[in-house]
Amino acid sequence: MKNTLKNPVVYLLFIIPTIAMYGLFFLYPMFSSLFYAFTNWTGLDETQFVGMSNFTRAFSDTNFHGAIINNMYFILFSVGLQVPLIIVFALLISNVKRFQGFYKTTVFIPSILSTSVIGILWSFIYDPDIGPISAFLGKFGIEPIYWLAESDLALIAILITNAWQWIGFYIVLVLAAILAIPKEIDEAASIDGANATQRAWYLTVPLIKPIISVVVMLSIAGAMRVVDIVLVMTNGGPFGSTEVMASFMVNKAIKYGEYGYGTSLSIIIFAFALVLTAIYQLTLGRTERIEY
Amino acid sequence: MPIKLKKIVPHIALMTYVVIILFPFVFVVFSSLKENNVEIAQSPFSFPKELYFKNYSTAWVQAKIDTYFFNSAYLATSSAVVGVLLAAATAFALTRMKFRVASKIIYQVVLIGMLIPGNVLFIAQYLLMKDLHILNKHWSLFLPYTAGALPFSVLLITAFMKAIPNELEEAAIIDGLKAHGLFFKIVLPLTVPALVTVFIINFLGNWNEYLLANFFINKDSLRTLPTGMVGFRDSYQMNYALICTGIVFSVAPVLLLYTILQRQIIEGLTAGSLKG
Repeated sequence: MKNTLKNPVVYLLFIIPTIAMYGLFFLYPMFSSLFYAFTNWTGLDETQFVGMSNFTRAFSDTNFHGAIINNMYFILFSVGLQVPLIIVFALLISNVKRFQGFYKTTVFIPSILSTSVIGILWSFIYDPDIGPISAFLGKFGIEPIYWLAESDLALIAILITNAWQWIGFYIVLVLAAILAIPKEIDEAASIDGANATQRAWYLTVPLIKPIISVVVMLSIAGAMRVVDIVLVMTNGGPFGSTEVMASFMVNKAIKYGEYGYGTSLSIIIFAFALVLTAIYQLTLGRTERIEY
Repeated sequence: MPIKLKKIVPHIALMTYVVIILFPFVFVVFSSLKENNVEIAQSPFSFPKELYFKNYSTAWVQAKIDTYFFNSAYLATSSAVVGVLLAAATAFALTRMKFRVASKIIYQVVLIGMLIPGNVLFIAQYLLMKDLHILNKHWSLFLPYTAGALPFSVLLITAFMKAIPNELEEAAIIDGLKAHGLFFKIVLPLTVPALVTVFIINFLGNWNEYLLANFFINKDSLRTLPTGMVGFRDSYQMNYALICTGIVFSVAPVLLLYTILQRQIIEGLTAGSLKG
């Protein structure tokens, strides 16, 4: 009877299916990536080890430089512009009594939808001939703007779409943290004569620092991973102006069959993400646990 | 008056934001009911002159949205269900059975998966599917979807199962229940809230997945909605009313699911991202 929970056969039966699935379709690709990254594997010829040459090639490839810079724009845009907006909107929602549930559920909607469908939807909204933005600007006599066809504008258009999709998700995250702060703290400050803006800035924001830190981290990670929206809206064009690291990698591997090179790019992306989050964790992201 | 104003200002800001969120949907629904591009271009913001429902039957039948929809639905559901069951069985063994050291090691190995973003594995998985000769079959999506969701699912369900008190299963064992009975009859029913959360997160992730679905499948009859919709857009590039209909079809089920389950979805996804 004691042995019911110490039966190795049963234990293995419960564990093996997961380990097998996870090992074959997750761990194995992880290790084979480390292998492919140092080869010139194209799927056709014999595979040869080429040492670090894929990596040196990546770092001297000007197209890849452009992709790295675009990823940096994604990070700058989401951390510099989206995060402040997220905090402001979360504070606003936490302060209203009426419609709080309505705001919370509505702003969340875009983040449950498929990125590719959102890409299609926004391509239509940006359409210079029959899109609503054009029609709206036309009322003021402004000529149609080719948002997705102009090198200077395409990335901005994608950044806005990406923000539209994700801001609400983070607002809800921050809002949950704000609502978890005990009411008494806010009431005490209110009795001491602090107005709503003061309470938000000197009280609530410091108290939700840990969650803000999480949001910044997730934004950085998300910005490094971004790919669907670019593939669907511009496929990296016009003239590579919207190419990001992941779309560059996917195109190299699948379109040109350069699997070895593509894999080394994927490892560079991963390394970038790790380094960025580590730097952030060691510098700005360092926060102590907050006890109320 | 100033107090009233103070109360209204936040609502104005928030309502503006809500309009920005909802406007694209309203625009798409209106456009999907207009007869052609001319009507959309001439009056983009107005309600359709005449409700032109024919777009809906055209899109559903000719554009194979029904096929994409069915593919997405059964792939997303089956891999989410299998993933949840596998993760639950593993979590049960790790938390309730008495193999301390082995469990600790397995748990750590599974957790490594949380560090690896899916994109990094994309090419290696592509080559693996090629070697297994399952490219262009639904297996090539089902397997990575299920496997990719395991680390997070195991993490969340393990945390939940740890909290179940020991006395319950001791009593059950005395009553003669074996380990598998304990799992199916006692622990699994008690874990349902966590299982639902994990299921929803995995389901939405699979339903919306684009990268693998786009490159691992190129047979039209096997496409899922996200990729099918992109193909649909590309072939009907000029017919915006029809494209909008396609968008409505692909967005509506998720929105419906969301209105029914919004609380679980919001809580599940926020909890998930915090622990992730």
